[in-house]
Amino acid sequence: MKWKFDSQHILKSKITWAVVAELLILLVCLIIRPEFFEISYQESTGMLYGSIIDILNRSSEITIIALGMTLVIALAGTDLSVGAVVALSGAIGLKLMRWDMSEYPTAGNYSVTPLIWVFLVALGICFLFGCFNGLMVSRFGLQPIIATLVLMVAGRGVAQIITNGRQMTTNFAPFKFISQGSVLFLPMPIIITAVIFILMVLLTRKTSFGMFVEAVGINPRASRVSGLRSSLIIFSAYAITGLLAGISGLIYASRIGQNDSNNAGINYEMDAILAVVIGGTSMSGGKFSLAGTVMGSIIIRTIITFVYYFGVAAEAIMAFKALIVLVVIVLQAEPVREFISKRRKARKTAIRGELHG
Amino acid sequence: MKKLIAVILSLALVMALGTTALAQDTLTVAFSQIGQESDWRTANTDDVCKAIQDAGWNLVYDDAQQKQENQVKALRNFITQGVDYIVFTAIVTTGWDEVLQEVKDSEIPLVLIDRFPQTSFADDSWFTAFFGGDFVEEGARAARWIVNYYKSLGRGDEEVNIVRLEGTTTSDPQVGRSKGFDDVIVNYPNFKIVASQTGNFTSAEGQAVMESFLKSVDKIDVLWAENDQMALGAIEAIKAAGLQPGKDIIIVGCDGVKLAFEAIVNGEMNCTVECTPLMGSRVVEVITGLEAGETFPKIVHPVEYVYDANGGIAYTDDGTALTRKAADYIAERLY
Repeated sequence: MKWKFDSQHILKSKITWAVVAELLILLVCLIIRPEFFEISYQESTGMLYGSIIDILNRSSEITIIALGMTLVIALAGTDLSVGAVVALSGAIGLKLMRWDMSEYPTAGNYSVTPLIWVFLVALGICFLFGCFNGLMVSRFGLQPIIATLVLMVAGRGVAQIITNGRQMTTNFAPFKFISQGSVLFLPMPIIITAVIFILMVLLTRKTSFGMFVEAVGINPRASRVSGLRSSLIIFSAYAITGLLAGISGLIYASRIGQNDSNNAGINYEMDAILAVVIGGTSMSGGKFSLAGTVMGSIIIRTIITFVYYFGVAAEAIMAFKALIVLVVIVLQAEPVREFISKRRKARKTAIRGELHG
Repeated sequence: MKKLIAVILSLALVMALGTTALAQDTLTVAFSQIGQESDWRTANTDDVCKAIQDAGWNLVYDDAQQKQENQVKALRNFITQGVDYIVFTAIVTTGWDEVLQEVKDSEIPLVLIDRFPQTSFADDSWFTAFFGGDFVEEGARAARWIVNYYKSLGRGDEEVNIVRLEGTTTSDPQVGRSKGFDDVIVNYPNFKIVASQTGNFTSAEGQAVMESFLKSVDKIDVLWAENDQMALGAIEAIKAAGLQPGKDIIIVGCDGVKLAFEAIVNGEMNCTVECTPLMGSRVVEVITGLEAGETFPKIVHPVEYVYDANGGIAYTDDGTALTRKAADYIAERLY
């Protein structure tokens, strides 16, 4: 009896389909070229080296943002400003490290400002941007899309003003460590993402915060009437997302050793929302799954890596991505999942009927 | 009441006369720029604006913030304001027929820079002059440099595997540079493009694509990146793979920005094909000439060079022009 219940549960669960989709893409890779799965130890960098590691490594920026976005979407909101905050974070970081850019244009292994201040100021301002979004939505009751659109447009502009529209570069080793360094043979971004994931799981599952988020997402008015401070919860979700977008921005800047206010974080809001939706959290709010979001982000990166590795023509990339995303999302749609699990149930009953009858 | 109207009217008349008189004193040159997308673009804007102002003319500058409709609006405003010259660089290649017809009808001379828009006009009387890079030639120069560099090492007959990082798909520079490169490299069967993918002209994507190339392609000898930013991103990916950029893999970029010069001097990059953003002096030259009644060839490309670590590699079709040594020119590079 118990097993039957579980199988139904697994078939209905959205994350199952995300995992199935990922495995299917990987299966195609395995059939075309098994070398895709090769992982070796790279002595010069002290890291594991392979396409699978690349997928995990390069999905970090989106995963980190999407973890915050999961809460926002579970509250029936959305945050369009994350891409601009990514650009802003990098711009502030580089500006603080390279205050002397006009005198010493050549990048060196140094920082004008101690690294701890670079992190604190950059992340602090991104956190404030998140707070601004939160305030607009929770206090002033603006539509999330409109409220966050303000910073989506303004954030990139602020980033360009901060850096005078220039790309600043650095070779400061401790700063580069957050993207190119390694701990436990893994690239740092994977470690940072894992730590943030664990913290977010603890926050939402070990405290009542997660339950409150779901309650407010399902019915804000009922939650407020029953004594939940829904505006504070909504505010926190946007603030956390701002902070996480800031972390993501520093990783991005560290990877290329420069701020790129024009291109950093372009379309990240879309990728992050997509990751959350693929992971099974509904745009209409309510129940959310952080593990699903991580899976969603990994799927997006797997598609991109697939395209690069197997040389899909540049013109076809967009269409290719859209096609796979479409399949994944349709598989997860309520009616489709209902249909699959019902058919399975019906077949089982039929078989059982034959046996017993 | 009548008196009041008369006073206002006469005041308006005086002011109108005043402005016309002012306008006749100095030329008004309008410049519609596409937006600030990169360091290259910033250098381009600064140079053109500064040159116009230094010539003592009035500058009307409009930044379109990467939107075609803003540029269309700007061009219409220029016509309404009755400026003397319009300097224009088109954000996308198509969709300009209507507004450029209006410019033509207004008889304001149109000076195109950097990018050449595609139009369906019967003849070329709609623009006065074009000044901008020859993207096809730039791609061809990169290919010639690679071939001649291998020859200079005495390895011209070896099998050489080239990977390419393309610019934003279907953008004017991407199409031109890819075509120019292909046209030359096809004559040397031992030089093969083994992988080619778009890196969207950005460091981050150039890095991610190179990372995959390093795993999917068995042997990479040369990287040809259609701008320097992607080459710089790829350098990090090559280091992460435990290889030495500039030695294990020969890296050729395009644009000739200062960061590329630094990478060449540090031995992490090998060559960059120049595409200069400095168009201000030519714009001033054209307008001054037109004012004096001179005529010009309609399309002029800037004089550009190719820079590498040691210099002396031929890069033109006739083989006469030799590369310049990057270290000698790094100090004067401002962008």
